[in-house]
Formats: sequence, structure tokens, C-alpha cells
Amino acid sequence: MIWQFDIILLTLIVLCALFTISIKDLLGAAIMFGAYSFLMCLLWTEMGAVDVAFTEASVGAGVSTILFLAIVHRSTRRVKVRQRGRIFYKGLGLTASLMMGGLLFYASSDFPAWGDPLAPASNHVSPYYLLHTLADTAVPNVVTSVLADYRGFDTMFETSVILTAGLAVLIVLRLDGSRTGGPVRKMARPIAKGYEDTIIRFISRAMAPFLQLFALYVLAHGHHSPGGGFQGGVILGATFILLAISYDLQLVVQTFTEKTALILANIGLLIYSGTGALCLLLGHNFLDYAALAKIIPGATTVTARSDGIMMVEIGVALAVMSIIVIIYTNLVSDGTYEKGL
Amino acid sequence: MTALIARLLMVAGLFFFFATTIGILRFPDFYSRMHAAGKGDTLSSLLLLSGLALVNLAGAPLTFDNILVSLKIMAILVFIFLASPTATHAIIDAGYASGIEPWQKPGTSKEGDDDLAV
Amino acid sequence: MNSFLNWTSIFICFLMLLTMLRIVAGPTIIDRIMGANVIGTKTTVLLVIIGLIYGREDMFVDIALAYAMLNFIVTIGASRYFMHHKNVRNRGYGIRHRKADLEEQK
Repeated sequence: MIWQFDIILLTLIVLCALFTISIKDLLGAAIMFGAYSFLMCLLWTEMGAVDVAFTEASVGAGVSTILFLAIVHRSTRRVKVRQRGRIFYKGLGLTASLMMGGLLFYASSDFPAWGDPLAPASNHVSPYYLLHTLADTAVPNVVTSVLADYRGFDTMFETSVILTAGLAVLIVLRLDGSRTGGPVRKMARPIAKGYEDTIIRFISRAMAPFLQLFALYVLAHGHHSPGGGFQGGVILGATFILLAISYDLQLVVQTFTEKTALILANIGLLIYSGTGALCLLLGHNFLDYAALAKIIPGATTVTARSDGIMMVEIGVALAVMSIIVIIYTNLVSDGTYEKGL
Repeated sequence: MTALIARLLMVAGLFFFFATTIGILRFPDFYSRMHAAGKGDTLSSLLLLSGLALVNLAGAPLTFDNILVSLKIMAILVFIFLASPTATHAIIDAGYASGIEPWQKPGTSKEGDDDLAV
Repeated sequence: MNSFLNWTSIFICFLMLLTMLRIVAGPTIIDRIMGANVIGTKTTVLLVIIGLIYGREDMFVDIALAYAMLNFIVTIGASRYFMHHKNVRNRGYGIRHRKADLEEQK
């Protein structure tokens, strides 16, 4: 931890945050929020939390900013400022944030020192995970083994929460007809005449396979380096968003259809809970991957746990990729799948 | 020896980034600022990343792991080399399509500048 | 080498702070997008530098590659927005609008 770097970085982050909330333009606020997420990723990296930084970079700085842009594209860029009672509401907001911030500052004075071995976070199960992960699961990356093996239930429900988010977007936005009540026109592609740009199209088309290969590398190498299912799935979804932006929404909607996306998302969650059920059928507990040693040829209990982690990460990546594509295509076209960003 | 070349490359990268920052702050017009940002940013990133790939090889013995990491840094370099000019092109296209007018030196005006009436 | 990398990272961070001035003061919004793009590219380089300072560069390089990709995607998306909506100046936001102005914006 280099303290000068820390000070400048934290100054940048606070400036970004203050500017985000004070700018009177929703598009500018979305861009500034993206820059703030980029800098937060740098802060997590500098503190040594690489998996969190990876997830923040991919989800917070990448996909979230694109989704905000899609929303601003579909609604409006202006912020309505009320004219009557302005001072009262500003005072109310200021008091609330001062009280909350003051409470947080007061609580943070009670924190243990950085890396204190007697802190509660370093005492109960953490030493067990840190000492035994390689012997139990043969996975050096402790974050992956805790996420997918020691705390596998939580990750399964997180995946179902992602599915619920996609479901919520579909329920609220998806229309079978157009907004005016008629049927949806089947578009030929490309639709966006005048927005064709050869350079961007060529670069996106040439890079998309390599980006997807990198996403698969992140997924598969999650045992040894930062990465895993979530990050790999988000980058896979982001490549589809790149193609939708540089070409046309119809390209993505007609090849990666809504039905395919929903089936893949559910297959992802089915893989996860199916692995758990398979372990149950083989006589162990739910999500106890040691049971898989009975059906994988030439595996010990330890490598079976590593293989089980790999299987559930694949399920998570499938689910996350499909849901990100569904959320993006619905948000950017207002549920009609006609025109995109 | 490798460390010396690495330091030279990184200092060159820092110099170009410093020039980029001054350009972004001081140029009078969106298009000229975008020239500074697009070209200077790409060049300084390329030089810095080349220097960093060499720094990685300078400290430790030349094992396969170190060469792999340096190759990955070169992969980032190739990606930035392809993607950053495309992003510059996209931003300038957006600015032109939105009708931002170029800056003229005050007191001069040339004929034939009407093709920018969007 | 370690102190050289330390001072490099501090210098880059300081120059990013100067770029923030352009983001705050940019008269059009595309200036802000440009500033965010520069900050994104430089953060990629900073991630690799931090990896080398900590000695665990094999982990940080993957993050840097993903970061560069997402920076590119966000910039392309933000520029695409202006192909559809052509208002770049912060004109008249934050005040109450008449119906005629709302129609003109659509």
C-alpha cells in the first residue's frame, strides 16, 4: 500500500462521486459513474482484492454503464428540478446524509487495524479455509473454492437471483406487440441505415472471437487466477452487447434469440442444482462434490471437488451470459426488439 | 541492460502522457483535443506497456512463466493498439454528427467552410 | 526498480487527476466521454504497474486485459448514443421546460 498513490486515488474517487451527483445531465452522470467504477476497481486492486476488482471492472464499469446508457437513450436526459420547496428538500437530504455519514465515520473508528490477526474476520472460519483449501479441493484460488465449494449454497441462490432479475425485466418491459398495439414487424437486417461504420464493424467482428476466447479462459482458469464463472459470463455477454452496438440489435436478436437465451439461462441453473442433486443421488449431501469421485473415472475425493467446482462455474457462466443479453436487449429497445442503440 | 531499456521506454511513455494531458487541457477545440487524446494516449500506453513487459523480464531469471506474463502484456498492447484508435474514430464521428464546429482563429475566416453546416 | 515503479504510478495518477479537470470543465459532453476513455486506458497501465510492484503480476494482467476490453465497449456505446440524439451541449437542463421545448427535444 503506497500511501501517496492511495491519497491521490481516493481524491480522484471522491471528486468523481461528487461530480456524478451534482451534474444536471443524466448521460453525463452515467459516464461519470462509469469512470467512478473504473477507479473503484483500481482501489480494490491496490488493496489486494483481485477477484472483487475483476468483478467490479466487468460488471460495474462495463455492463452497468452500458445499461445506464441504454436507459438514458430510451427515456430522457434531463433532470427535473423542483422549484418550490427546494431549500427544504436539499436541507433534508443534507441532514440525512450527514447523520448517516457521521454514524459510519464513528463506526469506522472502531475497526481493527489493517490485517490484524486478532480481528474477528481473521479468526473463525477464515484460517480453516486458508489453510485447508489446497488439501481439500486442490484449488489454489481461495475465493473460487469458498464461493463454489465451501459456500456453494449461497452461489446457487445468487444465480437464481440473477435469473429473477432477468425475469423482472421481461415482466416489466417485454411486449408481444409494438407499443402502439400492432404486431411486431419482422425486420430485415441491417436496419440502421446511415449508422453503418465499416471501421467499427470490422474491429468488433474481428475481435469478438478473441474476446470470447478470453472469457472462456477466465472461466476455465478461475481455479488458479482471478476469474471464475461470474466474470467469464459477464465478458461473454459483453461481446454480444458489442456486436449489438456496432452492428444492429437485429443481428443479436435474430441469432441469439430470446428463446435460446432463456433456455441457456435455465440450463445454467440446472447444471448447478443438478450437480448438487447428483451428489445427493450418489449418497452424499447436497452439493458435496466428493460424491462425484464415484462416477468420474480416476478421480480421488480431492480432485472430484475440483471438478465439481468447474461444473458449477460453467453453469453460472451460462446463466449470467444469457441474462445479460436478455436484460440489454429488453432495456435498449423498450421490450419491442425493434431498434437498438 | 534490459532494465535500462525498460526504464527508457517507460520514461518516454510518461513524457508522451504528460504531453497528452497538457494537450487535453490546453487545446481550444474538441477536435484538436481529441487528436491529443487519441494519438497521445495510444502511443503512451504502448510505450509504457512495452517497458513493463521488459521490466517483468529484467528482475527474474528467464523462466516460462515470466515469458508468458510478458506475452500477455504484449497481448494487452496489441488490443489497445487496435481498439483505442477505433474508439477515437467513434468519438470524433459522434462529435461531427452532432454538429460541433471547429475552432477558428479569431479574426480569420476562410471560404469553403460551409460544408460543416449539419 | 521498485521505487521507480512507485514514482511512475504516482505520476500517472497525478496526470489522471489533471485529466479530471477536463471531465469537470468540458463544455460538451463528448469531452467528458473522451476524458473517461483516457482515464480508462491509463488505469489499464496502472493495473499492470501495481501487479509488478506487488510481485504478483500474473494475476493482475488478466484483470488489465478485461478492463481494456470493457473500456472500449463503453466508449463505443457512449459514442453511438450521439448518432441518435444530437444534443451535446448542456443546454437548458435543470430548469422547468415548456411543452414546446419537450417536443423539440424528441
